[in-house]
Amino acid sequence: MNREYLTIAFPKGKLFKLSRDLFEKIGFTAEGLEEKSRKLVISNEEKKIRFIIVKTSDVPTYVEYGAADLGVIGKDVLLESAKNVYELLDLGFGKCRLMMAVPNSQRREKFSDYANTRVATKFPHIAEKFFNSRGMQMEYIKLNGSIELAPIVGLSESIVDIVETGTTLRENDLVEIETILHATARLIANRVSFQLKFDRIKPMTDALRKILEEEKA
Amino acid sequence: MKAIPYGTRDFLPRDAELKIEIESKLARLFPSWGYDPIVTPTIEFTETLKDVDDSRIMKFCYNNRDVALRYEMTTPIARLVATRLKDSPMPLKLFYLANVFRYEQTQAGRQCEFYQAGAELMGQGSVAADAEILALAIKSLESVGLEDFSICLGQVEFARGLMEQNRIESKIQRAIERSIERHDLVALESIVDSLHLEKSAAGALKEIPLLHGKNLDRAYEIAGNDKSRRALDDLSEIRKLLESYGAADRIVFDLGIIRDFGYYTGMVFEAYTPELGMSIAGGGRYDRLLFDFGMACPATGFALGIDRVMLALKNSDRQKDLLISFASGKISEAIELATRLRSEGKNVELSLTAQTRDAAERSRSKKNFRELIYLE
Repeated sequence: MNREYLTIAFPKGKLFKLSRDLFEKIGFTAEGLEEKSRKLVISNEEKKIRFIIVKTSDVPTYVEYGAADLGVIGKDVLLESAKNVYELLDLGFGKCRLMMAVPNSQRREKFSDYANTRVATKFPHIAEKFFNSRGMQMEYIKLNGSIELAPIVGLSESIVDIVETGTTLRENDLVEIETILHATARLIANRVSFQLKFDRIKPMTDALRKILEEEKA
Repeated sequence: MKAIPYGTRDFLPRDAELKIEIESKLARLFPSWGYDPIVTPTIEFTETLKDVDDSRIMKFCYNNRDVALRYEMTTPIARLVATRLKDSPMPLKLFYLANVFRYEQTQAGRQCEFYQAGAELMGQGSVAADAEILALAIKSLESVGLEDFSICLGQVEFARGLMEQNRIESKIQRAIERSIERHDLVALESIVDSLHLEKSAAGALKEIPLLHGKNLDRAYEIAGNDKSRRALDDLSEIRKLLESYGAADRIVFDLGIIRDFGYYTGMVFEAYTPELGMSIAGGGRYDRLLFDFGMACPATGFALGIDRVMLALKNSDRQKDLLISFASGKISEAIELATRLRSEGKNVELSLTAQTRDAAERSRSKKNFRELIYLE
């Protein structure tokens, strides 16, 4: 851990711009803080802040090891990673839900009728927890993208995936069976950073909270 | 190549040497504080190791009985004290060096078999015992060569007092404790909001994980019951005693620290160093554990993770202490200063040519020195 700087990990993709804009409002920004930046570490020397931009699913890892003090990450990815990090604030943006869906033509009468079938998902841990809580054993097929394709080509009977608007589901003639969780972006912190850099992290979290409350009002 | 089981490791000579060096320093330190060594079996009956997370314990069948590899050392020592040592004169002061086993997702500093050193002080319920354990923990970390670390000190009764004050049912108390332990402030907020408490009471509960600092003023303001206030008085007295040990500077209060073992009943603490992303030592008071083994006896203790201390020492080596640089004509002064600081035990690198202050600052940051002294 670098004692001098506060290191913040932003995820690539749709949460990047939202994160950058929110942190800018409390003066946490740096010159050249762009998603496509060629620099890997973007520093604000005056305020002693460093930003790193990493693949979404890597954010919890950087934070758990203390390579980044803080990070912004969707609750879905955070739960799936099962990393030991502190969760300081619900940032409100990046709303989505994780759900189970099946092809319209293959709907079954009761939920338990899906037991022991194949589920394609990017989130095998969350999916397993969910089905276990319903007393169902499933076969989990981990995919890294285009999850909705799996039941169409017969790789799985159902999917567990993120939806924002539902357009992809409709286009592929899939129907939602159960919602598993609602997710938003979270501010996470390394356990040790939280203790040793509390004097910087606490005021920053308070300032973010204030902005979020003002926006809500 | 033959593999070894998941989460275990071989120590090659350099690592083994460092491990033994740390252990021998501690084996000399503990007796000098009046602590006697103790060794217990690596396996215990599973029923003895209650209160632990069932999914993380390594169990097997032995002579047709369920046994498990020890998960930590406090419970086996409590078992021993409550049985074979129950008639010994109190207080009992014991220490151990031992390997323990937990099934975990491994990473640097988290193995399934790992090594601990620790001390337990049994038969004393006073703050003096807690202060001694804290002072000994601090001394242990210093004696193995760690310099840059802090002790975050909490008291589990503070949060319990606030929850009882609001008559929160025990199932929800567990959920609140879990969210405080994990510092999941989002979950804490949603649990507390669902209880529809008075605004100030809800605010106080949500604030627990953020009560962090050198004093307890804010905590006293929100402690609306005797139990919480007593917890804070307890911490104030412990800190006062630590001043006499010369160790109070290391202490930061943090009432969000409640540790993940259900058996703690009073002060609890964790030690952190910037060299590692996880705690390197921890402990607390556990007055009910021996009672569960049939002997009413207050107790307090701590354990430090030897593997983690090794990692922290290796990481801190990489950051050197001090760079001395100088403007032209100041080389003799610089050499004298470097010599003096080295004799005080600091790692000092001396720049060999005169530089401007800016150039010196650049080489400090490039070469990762903690500090620069520039003579002009």
